[in-house]
Amino acid sequence: MSAQNPRRLAPLGWLLAIILVAAWPSLAPNPFFVHLGQTFAYTAIAVIGLNILLGLSGQMSLGQAGFYAIGAYGSAITATSFGWPLWLSMPFGLLAAGLVGVLLGLVALRTRGLYLAMATLAFGFIVEIWAQRAVDLTGGTMGLFGVPQLDFGDFRNAAAYTFWICAAALLLVQLGSDWVFSSGTGRKLRAIKESESFAQTVGLNVSLWRTGVFTASALLAGLAGILFAHQSGFVSSDAFSIRLSIALLIAAVIGGLGDTRGPLLGTAILVAIAEVIAGFHTIGLIIYGGILLAVLLLVPEGAVGMLRGAIRPMRRAAHPSPIAEAGMPQAVATRPPPPGTRRGGSLEVVGLSKSYAGVVALRDVSFSVAPGTIHALIGPNGAGKSTLINCVAGLYRADMGSVHLGQDEVTSLSAHQRAWLGLARSFQNLQLISGLTVIENVMLGLRRQAGEGGIRAMMRWVAGLPHEEQERARALAVLDALAIAHLADRTPAQLPYGHRKLVELARALAQDPLVMLLDEPVAGLNSLEAQQIATALRRLRDSGKTILLVEHNMEFVMGLSDRVTVLDHGVVIADNTPLAVQGDKKVIAAYLGAEDTEAPNSEKATAP
Amino acid sequence: MTLTNFIQLLVTGVAMGAIYTLTAKGLFIAHLTTNRVNFGQGDFLMAASFLSLAAIGAGLPLPVAIVAVIIVLSLMGWGLERFAVRPLDRFGAGRAGGALAWILTTAGVALILQNTVELIWGKSSQYSPPLFSDRRDNVIMIGQIGFFLEELLIILAALAAVGGFWWALFRTRWGRDVYTVAFNPDAAALFGIDVRRTVTSVWVMAAILAAISGILVGPLVTVHPHMGLIFTIKALAVASLGGFANPLGILVGGILFGVAEALANYWDSKYGDLYPLLFVMAMLVLKPSGIFGESKADVR
Repeated sequence: MSAQNPRRLAPLGWLLAIILVAAWPSLAPNPFFVHLGQTFAYTAIAVIGLNILLGLSGQMSLGQAGFYAIGAYGSAITATSFGWPLWLSMPFGLLAAGLVGVLLGLVALRTRGLYLAMATLAFGFIVEIWAQRAVDLTGGTMGLFGVPQLDFGDFRNAAAYTFWICAAALLLVQLGSDWVFSSGTGRKLRAIKESESFAQTVGLNVSLWRTGVFTASALLAGLAGILFAHQSGFVSSDAFSIRLSIALLIAAVIGGLGDTRGPLLGTAILVAIAEVIAGFHTIGLIIYGGILLAVLLLVPEGAVGMLRGAIRPMRRAAHPSPIAEAGMPQAVATRPPPPGTRRGGSLEVVGLSKSYAGVVALRDVSFSVAPGTIHALIGPNGAGKSTLINCVAGLYRADMGSVHLGQDEVTSLSAHQRAWLGLARSFQNLQLISGLTVIENVMLGLRRQAGEGGIRAMMRWVAGLPHEEQERARALAVLDALAIAHLADRTPAQLPYGHRKLVELARALAQDPLVMLLDEPVAGLNSLEAQQIATALRRLRDSGKTILLVEHNMEFVMGLSDRVTVLDHGVVIADNTPLAVQGDKKVIAAYLGAEDTEAPNSEKATAP
Repeated sequence: MTLTNFIQLLVTGVAMGAIYTLTAKGLFIAHLTTNRVNFGQGDFLMAASFLSLAAIGAGLPLPVAIVAVIIVLSLMGWGLERFAVRPLDRFGAGRAGGALAWILTTAGVALILQNTVELIWGKSSQYSPPLFSDRRDNVIMIGQIGFFLEELLIILAALAAVGGFWWALFRTRWGRDVYTVAFNPDAAALFGIDVRRTVTSVWVMAAILAAISGILVGPLVTVHPHMGLIFTIKALAVASLGGFANPLGILVGGILFGVAEALANYWDSKYGDLYPLLFVMAMLVLKPSGIFGESKADVR
């Protein structure tokens, strides 16, 4: 069925693209169009880098012109002034852009949104000023002349050769972009864009990914600059102003951010606009600014989004699909057990303390969760439960004490390292990635197994065949265990709240964890839905999973848990079976504020 | 470098630093309340410089010219928020433009502004007449050292404007509303604060600060349609030194930035002006929350 594999025709598309590229120099009505084709090809390469950076990973760069300039000068100067051959100068330009990309990536690693935009803006400005003033090296605004062209010694066909090289580079980069968008890499970047703490808890090293993406986009901008330098044979610092960075952003935005086809469309529109406004250059900036405003305010999904919007109604008519039914699946109890190779492990918290600016949130908290049990953590509002769970997950660093997961001490490990060792968590306010389907969200949790991903998957993908079937099957098995397999291809936004809770549970389960950390799994659900979740959790426990949950719903906690730890004012005031805890005077006092017992404080309370 | 030389450089640095501070305050207040800033803040400053140049050139008395420029810029700040920033709220953060679309829309307005000024006043650099003294090079002697009177008065005026801004922020009802909205817009609405109007007023205030900066900077530099970018960059750098959160940090950071720039320029006339920027970028790596800022973890 074609809807099952929309990429079936992809190899045909690539073949057509290759034929078009090969024939373009002869098809073009005049040499100007060959030149335009060159400009389109290398500009699109830079825009693809920006689309992956901004559209997929959500990082803003206002300084792509800086990387473009470094690539251009790196190759042009070594080839012209030092006489390097092009096969050496061009990789050198790429290397230079990449190195500077890593350096600026350090800023990206430490900063977010606004700061990164500011740092990249300043970077682009610094490079431009350097290019203007380092006249000995760059020729400044007067420019560097006689940069060798990509003519392979055949000067008369230089235009065609240059075009073919630029277009071949674009095809390869586009292939890479398509792969990123349709593989686990794209899913991971989307997760990082929407929620960094979520990405960490499924085991992603967010810093590494952010720097990596930043460097990749710098490399692509550098590659575009290199091709530009050898296209024109003349490089002036005027080419690398902030206007170039903005133009690249305009192309990415007009095309449609976050779609792999966006850059091609956007660059085509940009090149066309640039030709048109050449005649209106006095109001060029007004046109650019106006386009930027019009697209972002009126059609933020860009040209690709508009096309998709035009096509979607037809698709919907062809595949009528009912809205997900309300209520919870009744069938959880009859589903097959969840797949997974690991038995549950233990979790031990020893002497954990944490304070914020003098306010003590946790004081000497110790408890242990036995393997294969459901352990509840309860306490009145402000008792320190959230702080505790974040310290256990590794999102907060405790001031004192240690956390042990199975055999490992994890106290000094980051959240993503803990996730790798087998700690999965769900969030109180759901953290599902809205741009992904249910099954893709679950696949984020999966660990790669032998035979998945890698070269073979890539080859299958290039051939237009399904390339993630094993992963999908595993994710589907997890969904099936929770009786929601039929929702696999929906997006989270289409599901009722209770189902979304189950999806988040499925994602945590897909991590095949030693310990599952569930933050308020039934908050906001009605009692029927809560019962279904309880059934699901009981089945998980019976299959050997260890579960630590934080919950306010007492009926749920007491009916489900094997052991309950009660926290009040940052101290453990009880740690016992549900029955014993319900009768505990200190617990009753903490919840009801009885007057005959003093409010528990640090001196009175003792850790069990 | 002689001592005289050093002190004169210091004064020049403080004058530019005070302008950077004032411009950065506009970024600070917008960021405080909306987590967004005007990436065309420098271009608003540029527009104010040209407007004040034109108003004074047309023979308006200085106070009238100042008021007129402030009114025009207030309207621009209002329009920016109303038509280029607020409409983005319709789209969630997950949508294509993403949570950072405001960077591009405010930059888009900046481009339009540059082009408009270019069309009206031309592309070439212009010299603004002095505001407070009768000649641009009016020197007064304090002890053995000569100072440009204009520079000294501009420092005073800029610092007075910073003081006025602080008074508005910390001593008036408006300032309390701003901080309440910054803390939590929903809670502010429950307190009966008109959140939407407060947000608009913040963008107007940011534009007013750009207006005052633009008027004051005219006599210190040459004025041209593309001067804005560098002021945007430097104001962003100064605001980030204070972590976009600490008003005193921005004042100290701004003055230090101006002085460092003046001294670096003297030291290395070719690339000196870039040193403070490189320093700030290095600081972002070492202490991303700003020298004078506080760190916050991203936990939901």
